[in-house]
Order: sequence, then structure tokens, then C-alpha cells
Amino acid sequence: MSTEVKISVENLTFAYGDHVVLDQVSARFAAQRITAITGPSGQGKSTFLTAINRLSDEIPGARVTGRVQINFADGPLDVYAGRYYLPDLRRRVGLVFQKPNPLPISIARNVMLPLALAGRHSRARKLERCEAALRDAFLWDEVKDRLDRSALELSGGQQQRLCIARALVLRPEVLMLDEPTSSLDSEAAGQVEDLLVALRDRCTIIVVSHYLEQVSRIADHGYRIKDRKVVPVG
Amino acid sequence: MSSRLAQRVLMACCWAAALLLIGAVAAVLGFLLLKGAGALTPELIFGEAEPLAALSGRAQVFDGILPAIVGTTALVLLAVGIALPVGIAAGVYFAVYAPAGLRRVLSLLTDVLASIPSIVVGLFGLTLVILMHKHLSARVYPSLLISGVALACLVLPYIIRTTEVAIEGVDQETRLTALALGASRLQNIFKVLLPRSLSGILSGCILAIGRCAEDTAVIMLTGVVASVGLPGSLLGRYEAVPFFIYYTSSQYADQHELMQGYGAAIVLLAICSWLFLLAWIIKGRLAGLAFRRV
Repeated sequence: MSTEVKISVENLTFAYGDHVVLDQVSARFAAQRITAITGPSGQGKSTFLTAINRLSDEIPGARVTGRVQINFADGPLDVYAGRYYLPDLRRRVGLVFQKPNPLPISIARNVMLPLALAGRHSRARKLERCEAALRDAFLWDEVKDRLDRSALELSGGQQQRLCIARALVLRPEVLMLDEPTSSLDSEAAGQVEDLLVALRDRCTIIVVSHYLEQVSRIADHGYRIKDRKVVPVG
Repeated sequence: MSSRLAQRVLMACCWAAALLLIGAVAAVLGFLLLKGAGALTPELIFGEAEPLAALSGRAQVFDGILPAIVGTTALVLLAVGIALPVGIAAGVYFAVYAPAGLRRVLSLLTDVLASIPSIVVGLFGLTLVILMHKHLSARVYPSLLISGVALACLVLPYIIRTTEVAIEGVDQETRLTALALGASRLQNIFKVLLPRSLSGILSGCILAIGRCAEDTAVIMLTGVVASVGLPGSLLGRYEAVPFFIYYTSSQYADQHELMQGYGAAIVLLAICSWLFLLAWIIKGRLAGLAFRRV
């Protein structure tokens, strides 16, 4: 099973205007594994993630060429070919940002937001999925009595797990996280790491990190981004 | 040593500039209130008519400025009502959809529109009336609707610019949050970008309200008259407070009439304050509702 490739990136070039961030890079991400991407700051690790779910399309001045293929359960998708509805791609390839970014609404509404945006679920179903996602993110026991309270009242670590729950509520096949523990203390970071290991069976996980220790603790595979290139490590 | 001195001088200049501004506003308001307070009587507003009867429309007001107050309020609501949706939509287009090249051209055109003197906008309204009168219907005359449309053109650039700048001011991470969760661009605009930009849009709206309430040049050419009573329809002529102030101050016959001009100026300020308050309350409501439907 370990040989099954979920995402393959070929000759991807990413530029902001004339500034080339990634130059003809290729990489493969195995299904149901945690792959870490490391490298110095400002070298395009986060940029690389936005090329996979085409969030790059929404960034002014960003230009991407090359090929990204994702082997979804219902068939492969050539991300940069043909016309399709981009939100569908982003619903299947979740992205958690570096800084926890809950919206100024209640905990429950935050988690249900992607379902509301996709707009085809009853309230009862949304609540059910919300609970499941919060359980998956190891957060349910801490928030179950205050789902109606503002998400901004949570601690940093809780907010980050809330954001992970929010990304999980659509049951994505791929989960990408951009330095998910960089703004957390070591205990909260440990919880997030345990969470990722537990999610591995369900998703293909790509995690950007510059903590090498963390990478060796949780990742199955690794890539390093440096000087506009992506090279495998380990 | 000298740099410290320079810093102190600079500080003093900043303070002086701020005091000058506040002083100027206070002087204008004080002068108006001092001069006009005496004229603030029911007679100024209702003339000879009985106030309650006039308010309920049973009695005509001849010598008071009630028709002008109603006319100005209707005009401002109409013009801002036209300019707001168009301006917000244009601002969203500039900030979210427009390709860089096209955006530069459109931005330039917006600046040109903003720099057109209001008398020229008035002429545009008049030309519009003449064209429509000739080619569309002989029943088209200068009216409240035409003034509203012309004033909307006048204030459109403010609303476009403030909307655009407010949306651009939303940081990239927030811009991308909902998109990363599978929101379409349209959902992102309505659920994230616009709610986050409400304060900026409101300031544009307030500018627009003030501009519409005070403008005399545009309405003089497009439908305002000195005496016609309460505005009866969008296609009829109307009275307006700034026009009343303008012609009272230019051709008053005695001290009493001049005092009425001062009184009307205070009333105009009150109308503006009331409209600002209304805009502010609406903004508060919208901000509360923004994520409610999520």
C-alpha cells in the first residue's frame, strides 16, 4: 500500500510576477502517509501548498505552470487542466494556515462553515458532522459545553485544533498544514502532532514545518525546499 | 541637541495644526449657532401653518422650510440609494476581479469622475433631461429623479474608492480563509470581504451623504426651485435646504430673512447628522448580521 501515490507534482514552476519562487520542481506524495516539507523561511514552502489546491489562483500576481495530478477516490484529477469548479477541489484538499484563523463567530458555526458554504446539508446533519470533526480533532471534550461561544475565546492551541476540525468537516482526502505548531507552546504542539498521526489512516497529510525534530517524530517521508528546488530527504 | 529641538518644533506644529482644525470647526459652528439660534422657531420650519397639520400633510407650508427639509432628505436618500449599490459593486470589481491593466484604466476614469466640478455634473443632468425630453417623452422635465441620478454620479467615485481600499485592506490570510474552505469567490465577497470592509464603506457613504446634502450647483440645473411645496413625486420639482440658504443669503430683503438663512444652515447640519447616525446604525446592524446566516 505504501507505494500508492496520491499526489504527483511534475515540473511545477511558481512565480510572483517576475520573481520565481519554485523552479521546475517535482514531488510525489504517498496516500495515507505524512509527508513533511522543510526548509529555510521564505523559500516557498507555503507557496508550494497553495499550488496544490490552486489557492494560488486567488493571489494577485501568482503564476503557476506545470502539472499536478491528484488521485482522488473517484478518479484522477489533473489540477491545472480543463475547466471545473475550483471550490470542489478545495473542499477535497483541505488547507490549515500557519496562524490559527477562526472567524469571529461561534465555535459550532466555524466548524460548520464549510458545510454551509457547500450548502447541501440539514441543520441536524451539520451538527452531527460538526461533532464528528471536533472529536477527530481531539477538541470535542473541551468545547462541547460552549459550542455557541465565540471561537476567539479559545486558547491558541484550541484555535488551531478548531481550524483542523473545520478543515476535516468536509472529509477531505488530502489535508495540508502550513507550520501548524509554530505559534503554539510545546504541550499544544504535542497535541497537534498526536492528532496528525491519528489522522494518517484517513487522509494524505502534507505538513510544512521547520522543526526537524517534529518532522522526524511524525513524518513518514520528507522533502526539503531550498534555492527554488524541492529535494527528497531521508 | 538640535534634533531634539527639531522634534519639539515638529510636535508643536502638529498640535497647532490639530488645534487650528478643531478651532475652525468650532468657530463655524459657534458663529452659526450664535447667529441662527434665534431663528430656530417653529415658524422657520412651518411658516404660518399649524405644525401638526403641516406634518400630516393637511396644511400647506408656504413660508417655512419644511418642504426643503423633506426635499433634501428625499434627494440624499435617493442619490445615495442609487450610488451605493453601483459604487460598492464597482469597488468589489476593482479589488477582486479586474485584471491589472484594465484596473489602471478604470481607476484613472474614476479619478477623472471625482475631479469633475459639480456644476459640470449639473450640466450633464440638464443635458440628460433635454435628450430624454426630445427623444423619450415630452413629459420629462428637471425633477427630483434627475437630480438624484446626477448627484449619484457626483458621489460615485467616493464610494467606489472607499470600497476598493477597504477590501484591499483585508489582509491576505483573511482573504484566503474562506476560499481555502471551499467558498466561491462570490461567497467570499459576501461573507468575508464586505463584512470586513463595512467601516470603510460607511466612511465613503458618509462623505457621499454630506456631499449630496450640501450640493447646490447640480440641483440648480436639474430641478430644484424656490417654492413648490412638499415634493409630490420623483418626476416633480422640489425644494432643498442648501438652495434655500443660497438664495436667501444672496437676495434677502431684511434682517429677518437673513436670520432664516442662518437658521436653515443649522437645520442642514442637523439633517446631515441625522443621516450619519442612520448610516452608522445600519452599519452596526449589518455587521451583526454578516455571519448570522453562515
